[in-house]
Amino acid sequence: MSDQKISVAASPAGSSPAAQVTAAPKHRVDPLAIVVRFQSLIGLVLVAIGGVIFSPRRHGEILFLNPDNIANIVRAVSETGIIAIGMTFVIITAGIDLSVGAVLGLSAVVTATMMISGGFGLIPTILAVLVMGVVFGIVQGTISTRFRLEPFIVTLAGLQAARGLALIVSGNQYINISYGDGPGLAPPVFAVLGERLFDNTVPVATIVFIIFAAIATLVLNTTRFGRYVYAVGGNERAARISGVPVSMVKIAVYAITGFASALAGIVHAGQFNFGSANDGMGYELTAIAAVVIGGTSLFGGAGSMVGTVAGTIMLGALANILQLNNITPATQLLATAAIIVLAAVLQSLVRRREGLGR
Amino acid sequence: MKTTLRGSRVLRTALLAGAAGLCIAGGAQAADPMVKACAKDGQFVIGFSQANNAEPYRQHVNDELTAAAKEVPGFTLQIADGAGNVNTQTSQVDNFITQKVDLLLISPFEAAPLTPAVKRAMDAGIPVIELDRKTVGEPGKDYTAFIGGDNFKIAEEAGKFTATKLLPDGGEAAVLEGLPSSTPAVERLNGFKEGVKANAKIQIVAEQAADWVPDKAQTAFAAMLQAHPDIKVLYASNDMMAAGALLAAKGAGKDVKIIGTDGLPGPAGGIEAVAKGDWAATFTYPTGAKEAIEMSKKILLDCATSVEPTVTVDTTAITAENAKQLMGK
Repeated sequence: MSDQKISVAASPAGSSPAAQVTAAPKHRVDPLAIVVRFQSLIGLVLVAIGGVIFSPRRHGEILFLNPDNIANIVRAVSETGIIAIGMTFVIITAGIDLSVGAVLGLSAVVTATMMISGGFGLIPTILAVLVMGVVFGIVQGTISTRFRLEPFIVTLAGLQAARGLALIVSGNQYINISYGDGPGLAPPVFAVLGERLFDNTVPVATIVFIIFAAIATLVLNTTRFGRYVYAVGGNERAARISGVPVSMVKIAVYAITGFASALAGIVHAGQFNFGSANDGMGYELTAIAAVVIGGTSLFGGAGSMVGTVAGTIMLGALANILQLNNITPATQLLATAAIIVLAAVLQSLVRRREGLGR
Repeated sequence: MKTTLRGSRVLRTALLAGAAGLCIAGGAQAADPMVKACAKDGQFVIGFSQANNAEPYRQHVNDELTAAAKEVPGFTLQIADGAGNVNTQTSQVDNFITQKVDLLLISPFEAAPLTPAVKRAMDAGIPVIELDRKTVGEPGKDYTAFIGGDNFKIAEEAGKFTATKLLPDGGEAAVLEGLPSSTPAVERLNGFKEGVKANAKIQIVAEQAADWVPDKAQTAFAAMLQAHPDIKVLYASNDMMAAGALLAAKGAGKDVKIIGTDGLPGPAGGIEAVAKGDWAATFTYPTGAKEAIEMSKKILLDCATSVEPTVTVDTTAITAENAKQLMGK
């Protein structure tokens, strides 16, 4: 996969400061590259415009732009969005993490179990679940780097393992979270995750998503670790030679997806007062779709966090406008398919222009 | 779609004025109708939030609802597919609220997670009829009404049928469970076990989950028959799994009495399988679609002031005796 990789130096889709490892100076900017770099933002704008045009109207009000509707769109994508943010790190290193949806389910189950039957308080529960997610990621990353295994395989196993653990923890039952004071009840403050703040406008789940996105963007764009992530995905050998701790970086990105999945699981449990081993099924694919639409290349070395966030919201807005118009789910799936292919084709064109032949 | 929506508002306002006039003229102001904009010949949009279209049973519910709604002039039915995901389903209910549908029908994928969304609909003044599955709370208070079967009771009937009719002298039985930790799977498993207790000589020697799907059921039941060649009865928590189990029994050359659940019509459904003698029985899980549209008519067209908060549709045991005559239905 990465053996015939030439430098992805001034890579178009990601502001990759790390790529100076083997810099090939570019004199002209490819306009197509600019498009790719902002493709998901452009896509989001297009979907939004489409949403306004095709929105049903009531008393002259455009339903699509109704504040409640916007809140609904951004709430619905919060969980997959949080996961997609973690996934962006992994995909930039040319890896993949298929275990994220299952880890969300495991985390939701553990959150519910600890508070309801374990009698643990809110803070210990949240900390324990986040640590569990990180450990899950570290184990996957370590197995993958230590034994030189494809992350695809390792995290596929991780997916099965997490679902199995979730069933064991929950005893094959779903766990309802009821609130109150006393044994077998969760602290009422936890239910805030299902509510809206600022005069009942902004969903709390979305606030968690936005804060996490902001931190992740800073880490990716301004820290040495962020540069390492791009370097490892751009050219692993070159990165190793120039002193980047490649194994450590790889393990760290899986720890990040583990953390993100656990965070999404906590948000899920709080939003829906519920933990079930089946939660988060298929989320890994939604997250990968959002990342790819966001302009991050599965070949690694290029990508942007803002793109991922825009890609996530775009998919949510698309689903919303189709339902407002009572268009079947089949159409939604086909539309998503078309968008993914379009995003991938655009990227491939840019790579080809740069002589990367892929 | 859009035009009906907009047209319906204008029409309804006019009708509302008319209806209000009638009410006053009648002088009978006993109780307000549940929906103020109700009208004999108004145009109404009913949103149905379905849990998961991928399940054949739910597709069957969609078909029956669509057919029943078509019969009523002025009803437009919109179906949203929650795709087996509480997050997706929640956002679809929110979309219906945004659209201000006149009535919400919902089969929640899981109870607790959809409870807040149902509350939001009720708070927005939209009546909510829950079909097949409940959210948390009381019908008549937290939501308008519940229409559906009782999973536990239906499975318990199957258990009693096994205890008295299929294995009166005792023997080994096995269970294929649905998707573990999903509400109906848990209820049907527990219900069957409860029913079988009526006969102490029956042992349940194996329980396996096959996630509602036939291929997993075939694999799981083949393994069960390897481990327990004397299994006499298999209870499958839905018709699809019963169909898979039959293939496994045939493959092993065993004559096992199979019980399905759902009693789906049509060429691949459980009723036909019993009529052909492939299964011992299947216990119907009625959709409640007709009842739901009936109730919607009462609320929206007849300006009902109240409706029955719980309508339990009973299961029918489909056995060799009655399967043939029920085939055409």
